[in-house]
Amino acid sequence: MNLDALTRTSGEWLRGTGPESDIVICSRIRLARNLADFPFTNRASDTEKTEIERICRATMDKAGLELDYQSVVNLDALDRQLLVERQLISRELSTGDGPRGVAIGPRENVSVMVNEEDHLRIQVMNSGFSLADVWEQINTLDDQIEEHLHYAFNPQLGYLTACPTNVGTGIRVGVMLHLPALANTKQIEKVFRALHKLNLAVRGLYGEGTQADGDFYQISNQQTLGKSERELIRNLSEVVPQIINYERQARQEWIGQRRQHLHDQVSRAYGVLKTAHTISSSETMHLLSSVRMGVNLGLIDDLEIRTVNELFIHTQPAHLQKIQGEPLEVDERNIARAGYIRRRLASDNQAAEERE
Amino acid sequence: MTCQRCSREASVHLSETVDGQRRDLHLCGPCARKAGLTPPDPPPNAALEAIVDHLIVQHVGELVGELARTACPLCGLKFMDFRTGGRLGCPNDYEAFAPGLLPLLRAAHGASRHVGKIPRKRTPPSRSPRLRLRARLREAIAQEDYELAATIRDQLRQEDADR
Repeated sequence: MNLDALTRTSGEWLRGTGPESDIVICSRIRLARNLADFPFTNRASDTEKTEIERICRATMDKAGLELDYQSVVNLDALDRQLLVERQLISRELSTGDGPRGVAIGPRENVSVMVNEEDHLRIQVMNSGFSLADVWEQINTLDDQIEEHLHYAFNPQLGYLTACPTNVGTGIRVGVMLHLPALANTKQIEKVFRALHKLNLAVRGLYGEGTQADGDFYQISNQQTLGKSERELIRNLSEVVPQIINYERQARQEWIGQRRQHLHDQVSRAYGVLKTAHTISSSETMHLLSSVRMGVNLGLIDDLEIRTVNELFIHTQPAHLQKIQGEPLEVDERNIARAGYIRRRLASDNQAAEERE
Repeated sequence: MTCQRCSREASVHLSETVDGQRRDLHLCGPCARKAGLTPPDPPPNAALEAIVDHLIVQHVGELVGELARTACPLCGLKFMDFRTGGRLGCPNDYEAFAPGLLPLLRAAHGASRHVGKIPRKRTPPSRSPRLRLRARLREAIAQEDYELAATIRDQLRQEDADR
């Protein structure tokens, strides 16, 4: 697999299409699975992890899955970070030890981590609000894998996982939402409280414990035992449209009451991104968030939503260093980031002009 | 951190969860002893583990004390290690630690029975002969009984080939 090529493309989940894609960036489901015959990863020896990796790879081959396997052990720190930024592997897999890796689908919407916290972490991710489709895909993938190996499963407790918080279905159903208006009016706190009462977790763009930079929020189930996969998907599918409505209302109120202020904020954000010569990662996320909302509200008309989505990921540290082709210190990264953003925005603007 | 009962430095830290509410207790040695939280005469240089076990038995009850020391026969993990590290060691732990795990599962998920997808192929993990063999293999290597280890390895390879 050519990781350098990743910087010239982007995952399908970023293309900004699919239902409700002005607010729902992507829908994602992951399944935690373990082999019945081995200790869980944290207690397996390197020999056992090698064996687990061999079995999992052979299984994916036998199942005829079009996945490209990448051992994480052979990757340097920058490439590992690139895969984390890309949402293809977790931090845990990146920093873990012993034989481990990830199998990635051609459009980056499938990734199967091997020897993460569980032997297998299967993930499917699609653009927009499309949990039912994602479930169809991942359920089939899970069946195909299961045909060639024995999963650790117990009739009372379901799929057995290294952490009891995942036992049962082993499923994590999540959507990544862009909620700038709710964040701006502080109504987001109310949403969080309501979600916690419903047993749903809220995380930032890069998962547990990270700041919700760029007004991105991932909402997912916490319960995995006692409810079926379909019930858990339905629960989330019922809650998400309500949050989407709140966000739309907040945007309409904002635009109705303070249109000039909002337009000013969006235009200034766009202006800074188009002209800055050095910019930090967090300022970038903050400004891109305003620009993204501006495009969705029709306040900016010469920029594709896909470009904005990509910029959130391509301006992360490892992506920038890969694009630049050399390791960069923070100051150098800020300069490279500003340059990259200017170029991307200029080429998008030009394309828009040519279309007219 | 200072003792919650006087101004000395706290050396005993306990936390418990009752009805989902976490309570933390930080006490200095003398106050902890007054509250009955240390063994009456701690043996000099006693292993920390023994003191912890003693504290658990004294304050949470014999069952938990026993449970804390329970080890999975297949992977060797102790229930106590799971409580500290948060990760189980092998599929069999769900059976080995059932009395301690089920209340945790009920608290975390509000349920203790799986509803949902069932794999078409089923091997009850507690009876997984290969996991057993692997446990024996690890034990043989630990005891430097390489002859036995080689026999078990061959057996595992043979089964692999038979599949």
